[in-house]
Amino acid sequence: MNIRSQVSMVFHLDKCIGCHTCSIACKNVWTDRKGAEYMWWNNVETKPGTGYPTKWEDQDQYHGGWEKQNGQPIRIKSTGKARVIPNIFHNPYMPSLDDYYEPWTYDYQNLFNAPEGADQPIAKPISMITGEDIKVEAGPNWDDDLGGSPIYAANDPNLQGLTEQQRLQLSSVERLVFFYLPRICNHCLNPCCVASCPSGALYKRGEDGIVLIDQKRCRAWRSCVAACPYKKTYFNWFTGKSEKCILCFPRLETGQAPACFHSCVGRIRYLGVLLYDADRLEEVANLPDEQLVEGQRSLILNPHDRDVIRKAQSAGIPDGVIESAQRSPVYKFVMEWKLALPPHIEYRTLPMLFYVPPMSPVMANTDNGLTNHAMDSLFHGIDASRVPMKYLANLFGAGHEGVVRYALGKQLAVRWHRRAETVGDVDRATADRFLREADCTIEEADEIYKLTSLCTFEDRFVIPPMYREQAIEMIKEPHEQRAETGFGFVGGPRRGL
Amino acid sequence: MSALASIRCRRRSVVRTAGRYSPRQVGSLMKGSATSRGVRRACQRIIGLAGVGGCLALCMAAIPAFGQDTPDYFRQNCTSCHTIGGGRLTGPDLKDVTKRQTREWLAKYLLNPRAVIDSGDPYAKKLYEEARNVPMPTPPAINAERAQKLLDLIEAESLLEKSQFKGLQISTAPFTDEDRARGHEIYLGMRRLEKGGTACISCHSVSKSAALGGGRLGPDLTNVFERLKGRVALSAWLVAPGTETMQPIFRNHPLSPDEIQWLVAFFESTAAESPPDPSRNQVSFLLAGLAGAITGVFFLDSLWKNRFHSVRRSLVDANTARGKS
Repeated sequence: MNIRSQVSMVFHLDKCIGCHTCSIACKNVWTDRKGAEYMWWNNVETKPGTGYPTKWEDQDQYHGGWEKQNGQPIRIKSTGKARVIPNIFHNPYMPSLDDYYEPWTYDYQNLFNAPEGADQPIAKPISMITGEDIKVEAGPNWDDDLGGSPIYAANDPNLQGLTEQQRLQLSSVERLVFFYLPRICNHCLNPCCVASCPSGALYKRGEDGIVLIDQKRCRAWRSCVAACPYKKTYFNWFTGKSEKCILCFPRLETGQAPACFHSCVGRIRYLGVLLYDADRLEEVANLPDEQLVEGQRSLILNPHDRDVIRKAQSAGIPDGVIESAQRSPVYKFVMEWKLALPPHIEYRTLPMLFYVPPMSPVMANTDNGLTNHAMDSLFHGIDASRVPMKYLANLFGAGHEGVVRYALGKQLAVRWHRRAETVGDVDRATADRFLREADCTIEEADEIYKLTSLCTFEDRFVIPPMYREQAIEMIKEPHEQRAETGFGFVGGPRRGL
Repeated sequence: MSALASIRCRRRSVVRTAGRYSPRQVGSLMKGSATSRGVRRACQRIIGLAGVGGCLALCMAAIPAFGQDTPDYFRQNCTSCHTIGGGRLTGPDLKDVTKRQTREWLAKYLLNPRAVIDSGDPYAKKLYEEARNVPMPTPPAINAERAQKLLDLIEAESLLEKSQFKGLQISTAPFTDEDRARGHEIYLGMRRLEKGGTACISCHSVSKSAALGGGRLGPDLTNVFERLKGRVALSAWLVAPGTETMQPIFRNHPLSPDEIQWLVAFFESTAAESPPDPSRNQVSFLLAGLAGAITGVFFLDSLWKNRFHSVRRSLVDANTARGKS
């Protein structure tokens, strides 16, 4: 057993209101630079929708992630040791700027400088890349709140396997539905971007599992851009280096939550450390699709287990981190309650960002020309939800509904239970029946309720101590560097070697 | 037998080594001095290069020495157009030329024929017209001394009953279709020349010779048979081509008598045709190139038609197209 620690995340989609505050916080901190205008390390997508970049989930086109064929061990879908040579000057599966969007701003000066004329001056949109006038045709969430849009929503790759009736229902007036999917780098356990880099510029930090790109070693191959199935590495056209979400590691190292977590209005984000067994990674990444979710859970170790604690200590994981793992909200959501699920685990990168699938409104029924949105009982059953179970299964269960059904059923049971507790218009027996069906005790339901609705800053973000003073000893002699912090020059990333 | 072969091999390798390294260097290499292996290898390479360069320089130096022998020089440079007592080829028969013109004039003409023709000298002009406007090329490495020696040689040979430069014995057998076909093959380079000379098409064109025509360095050869006044002159030319461009190519790789026979047969067959219009040929070459490029683009496009295209743009285009129809 090779125990390591991983800073992991949970996004509670049932709480996301799609305000994009997280995206703006991230943009202001990290990507408000030349060459990075089009990047959104954090972005919020409307689902059903094609997302950013357009149709990133369509791996038939982008060839991201790992592929498993005919019982062979998994291999990178976009490149390989031999395949990199014929594509040495042109990586064939790169999203174009148009697939992201051409970033633009507005010519505000025109409001003040426009010559006298018959019309009000306007602030024309201008490209942030060329500086020329631009006809805005796409944006990072162009189909924002457009659940039924015929171009974007109708081409969502997750609609695969839905019946024609379900598809029609998703786009008809009064019945359409959408929810939000905020996305950052998943800091995967089996990151395809790291595996694909010919320069070895990408690495997964040993102490916390954050995946980073060394700006000095990056040689602009862009293999990571093509290889990442979530399209969460971006190429900076100005510095000639690839960039990605760094999980705000400078903030984490000083005990602060990452900017997007910190600013989240809906408080949907949870962060905590998990212990996992790195020896079994390869075995789990090669499991058949339907076993992947369970397989990934089996990697994550119980931090309360004495044997695990002992082995973690001997593996060099500090006590502070183990203690933090014991309080991790992520462990509760993923392992104890099994509410949170990895996105598209069929890409086999074993993402360490988990989503609690969203509840959705009841499916409307049309009666004599009248559309009825209500059900007889207080809460509708999960199968009557507007978002088809199959759709959520494609997104969070590698196409298999079981784990999604379990997570939604438990959320529903908690609602019944809390209704019986606080309002009292539901009898206890009904609530208990739902809890029983959802494999949930009253104590667990209360705990879920607490961490979902009444969670404080400290409940949501259990940031492990990073022990940088020890980690730095691996690279530098601390006594030599003493009293020198803040002096000297740090060059920014530059094109070339 | 095998022992003999091995001895021969060894000798050859020794010869080769000696050719590449100067004896002193070979000696120092043999000794295996304190220099490291890599350095030694680098030295060998440099010495090898120097050796090759030296050999080249020697060859260059050898050319004038080669021409010191005036009869040889004459055979090399003059017999393609001239005979002494053998009748006219491209140029006039040189028997008793010193009686027809003064030695001063001839020497001046030898040093730079073109200049004399251009100066409007009537005699030179007459020669030029008689040769059907084929100007006499300046003989290679000519100087005043050599010109005098050449004239001496011509005078001496003119006195003889039968000069060694009377001309070749050209076969008078009629050309067969087989001759013409072989000549065509030689011209196109499909049949290797016996001594390894360069195929004609590299530098010359003949009408309808090939899809893209021939080279443009030398003149068009469609009517060369007529231009050089027939079989004898053309054959004589081919024995030792005299121009600055052809001479270095064929000096060490002469054509065999059979090859000359076939080529002349071929050129005789083309003499009736009219040479291609060079400007039209250039246009067709350009058009052929363009057509090739376009075909190539479409071929590669079809080869890679499943390549990654823009995702969003094609999505939008497909949808708006559907909306319109």
